[in-house]
Amino acid sequence: MVDRVCLGAVAGAHGVRGQVKVKPFTENPDDVAAYGPVEDERGDRRFKLSVTGRHKDTVIVRIDGVSDRNAAEALRGTRLYVARAVLPEPEEGAFYHADLIGLSVVSVGGETLGRVTSVHDFGAGDLVEYVDASGGQHMLPFTLAMVPEVDLAGGRMVVDPPEESPDEGPEDLAQDRAE
Amino acid sequence: MARSVWKGPFVDGYLLKKADTSRASGRNEVIKIWARRSTIMPQFVGLTFGVHNGQKFIPVLVTENMVGHKFGEFSPTRTYYGHAADKKARR
Repeated sequence: MVDRVCLGAVAGAHGVRGQVKVKPFTENPDDVAAYGPVEDERGDRRFKLSVTGRHKDTVIVRIDGVSDRNAAEALRGTRLYVARAVLPEPEEGAFYHADLIGLSVVSVGGETLGRVTSVHDFGAGDLVEYVDASGGQHMLPFTLAMVPEVDLAGGRMVVDPPEESPDEGPEDLAQDRAE
Repeated sequence: MARSVWKGPFVDGYLLKKADTSRASGRNEVIKIWARRSTIMPQFVGLTFGVHNGQKFIPVLVTENMVGHKFGEFSPTRTYYGHAADKKARR
């Protein structure tokens, strides 16, 4: 589990009154300012944000204490973090990606299979990607059947990976055409 | 009648055979396929396909909402990993 999560990054200045454009990494773009004050990468500067609008794929944000364009320009590239503890508890059956990444992956039989590296959603539901000891990447649908147990406190995820069908190759297609 | 309606959905024939075999065996398995252009048919619902994206097989668990779409839509060939931020995964 990570200590902090990155909510967005300052993409540049907007106008001459100190507003900035923030590229949001949150599920809902306006939520970059929803979790209270944010801090920079090193944690030595804190910013209080208020969202004032949207521009293309960025959010226009006013930052307390930044009142001119030069100060806003100076923030370009700054990543905005909040403590993981600030995020509200997820609903039943939901898990923050930040919590899942880094969990060790254990089979139903108790064998350690690897470590979670990322969570994706390509439109067919959430997928957990993990890397085994030899560096091989594996993906698994994040469903109750295939991931029966997620133990955040214990830092592990129990999985029941499906068997893989024989690797017959695209020659199936050629065979099908011949028929 | 529109030509596309008259022709019906396109599915690679071997895919139907593979799906039938997998369903008959009753095993929990990923069916590896390269047929990104094939339409998802109602008889595929509940099966898990590993759809090749040119590099690896992306698991696609077929649900009712996906019927009529193509397999390739769920297996992107260019991956942007992005940031976790406050995103949630649901089981």
